[in-house]
Amino acid sequence: MEAFDNLLYGFQVVFQFDNLLFCAIGVLVGTLVGVLPGIGPVGAMALLLPATFKSTPVSSLIMLAGIYYGAQYGGSTTSILVNIPGEASTVITCLDGYQMARQGRAGPALSIAAWGSFIAGTFSVIGLMLVAVPLAQAALSFGPPEYFALVCMGLVILTYLAQKSILKALMMALVGLLLGNIGLDIITGLPRFTLGINELTDGVGISPMVMGLFGIAEVLENLEQSVPREILRTRLSHLYPSLKDWIESKWAIVRGTIIGFFLGILPGGGAILATFISYAVEKKVSKHPERFGKGAIQGVASPESANNAAAGGSLIPLLSLGIPPNVVMAMLFSALIIHGLQPGPMLIKSNPDLFWGLVASMYVGNILLLVLNLPLIGMWVQVLRIPYKVLFPLILLFCLIGAYSINSTTFDLYVMIFFGTAGYLMRKFGYEIAPLVLAYVLGPQLEQALRQSLLISKGSFMIFITRPISGVAIALAFLLLLSALLPCFKKPREEYEAFGE
Amino acid sequence: MKKYNLGSGLFWLLLSIVIFIESLHLGVGTVQNPGMGFMAFGASGLLGLLALVLLFRTIFGEKEAETAPLFSKTLWKRVLILLITLVVYARVMPVIGYLVSTFLLMAFLYWISEPKKVRWAFWSLVLSFLTTVTSYYVFSVLLNCQFPSGVFGL
Repeated sequence: MEAFDNLLYGFQVVFQFDNLLFCAIGVLVGTLVGVLPGIGPVGAMALLLPATFKSTPVSSLIMLAGIYYGAQYGGSTTSILVNIPGEASTVITCLDGYQMARQGRAGPALSIAAWGSFIAGTFSVIGLMLVAVPLAQAALSFGPPEYFALVCMGLVILTYLAQKSILKALMMALVGLLLGNIGLDIITGLPRFTLGINELTDGVGISPMVMGLFGIAEVLENLEQSVPREILRTRLSHLYPSLKDWIESKWAIVRGTIIGFFLGILPGGGAILATFISYAVEKKVSKHPERFGKGAIQGVASPESANNAAAGGSLIPLLSLGIPPNVVMAMLFSALIIHGLQPGPMLIKSNPDLFWGLVASMYVGNILLLVLNLPLIGMWVQVLRIPYKVLFPLILLFCLIGAYSINSTTFDLYVMIFFGTAGYLMRKFGYEIAPLVLAYVLGPQLEQALRQSLLISKGSFMIFITRPISGVAIALAFLLLLSALLPCFKKPREEYEAFGE
Repeated sequence: MKKYNLGSGLFWLLLSIVIFIESLHLGVGTVQNPGMGFMAFGASGLLGLLALVLLFRTIFGEKEAETAPLFSKTLWKRVLILLITLVVYARVMPVIGYLVSTFLLMAFLYWISEPKKVRWAFWSLVLSFLTTVTSYYVFSVLLNCQFPSGVFGL
């Protein structure tokens, strides 16, 4: 009953004009970046982060979260109509979505994707509501050793789930930790690794770094290839699934929702992994697995439900523990810090308007996406027709403005260009960017927890082993790393990497 | 991929050595009382170790199939030109102002995709004018972002 009262309070928050407007802007921008290649939700969030400085933390968070789950909706449109996924989490939708479009069933494919996303998104919000609050209450008893161990475990899971080499992913996590060291020392307040540059005293800015690594690097990579995009010219009639489509998809949506929600909680590529697993499960349980890859509607409904459910699930570790499980959540984490809020178990108790406002906004956002997206599919198709030669200068300009407007200094532009070049080279040389960004965001928290733990234990590392929660987390992280070396795990790992490729 | 792994492995190894030395200068402290360089000391040490593993695996590991060179047959010159353009833009924007520098940047970026088409050059100018004015109106007038006006006072 208490949760219901809190939810009602959340709806009061979200129905304030400003918050509703920010929610609508968030889901629209999210859908747009999901549709457009070259800029994803992370880049868009980094770009719009400075624009939220003058608004309230609730409005900012509502908009930034809207971009994330809006992008999951938008990404499916390109997968179905162009066979090019707008987002990594909609890659698998290409398999059956594009085939459906080729068979003249683009309308049902797009609409089942939207309905599946809506149903999964709504249920994941209920899950978030039910799990986050008790977890946050339990986390109130966590001390620095528990936090250190949980962050370590999160980073290890993230690197373990990396789709390229685990070794390289671990190296990137360490580079991220080192980047997080730049700036003032958290205990002495003295500058370190600033190379004598005053602007680096506050550390490397998250927005220029992320815009460089994701926005600029993506443009550079796209520029060196001239891949023509062909949009399927198909009639977008029958935008609502038939009864037969519903009957065929209903269990796929349920299974996708459950898989997506629980995998979304995991650090790393929760949403991406969830789509692959839900697709594999669907094919396994189907009476006609031979139809998959040839336009089976379950092949669209299940992954599309999974990626939206994962979006809700991934908010749990952030809001209840203060540990972002993926790069998108790292951006939300940064937004909270910028607004003077400390993500963690106290957040729900001390800022109920923020938590319940965000939860309610996700219900509203999901309805808005459904109401806006189905009638606007024609418009999104037109957006897809914008040639890349017109699009990439716009993406670059948005990144430049976004980076400059944070502090009104050109130093941030140089930072962004530097990380753009680094991101481009990292993609070329097979290094993943996500572990770097997440470790960079979690670095200060990890360092503080480590140093405090060692001060408490008077220098004994046993504090991480003897306390039950930290002991289990450290053991799990250790076992995961060890399993990567064992021969019996090598084959599945190689298959997973090949799948990632 | 072998030579790229060798190159990148060497890069990370050298970087880790530099940071390791710098962390010693900052002061690692003791385990009872960790200093400013404690975290960097551990992270750079581990990074160096992993870079060595990468190098070792690349040199002594299994032979892999030949892969296509990473930078050949691609439009990498375009990438280089773009990066230089962005650096020049960052340098000149405070001097000549947002409106002029952005107009020039956008005109160049639109034009570079198809430099041989005269008609596209005209459209590049039109598009860059529209983009510059719209972006100025949205970000400066509506969202109150502070852009430099430069020597022209625009």
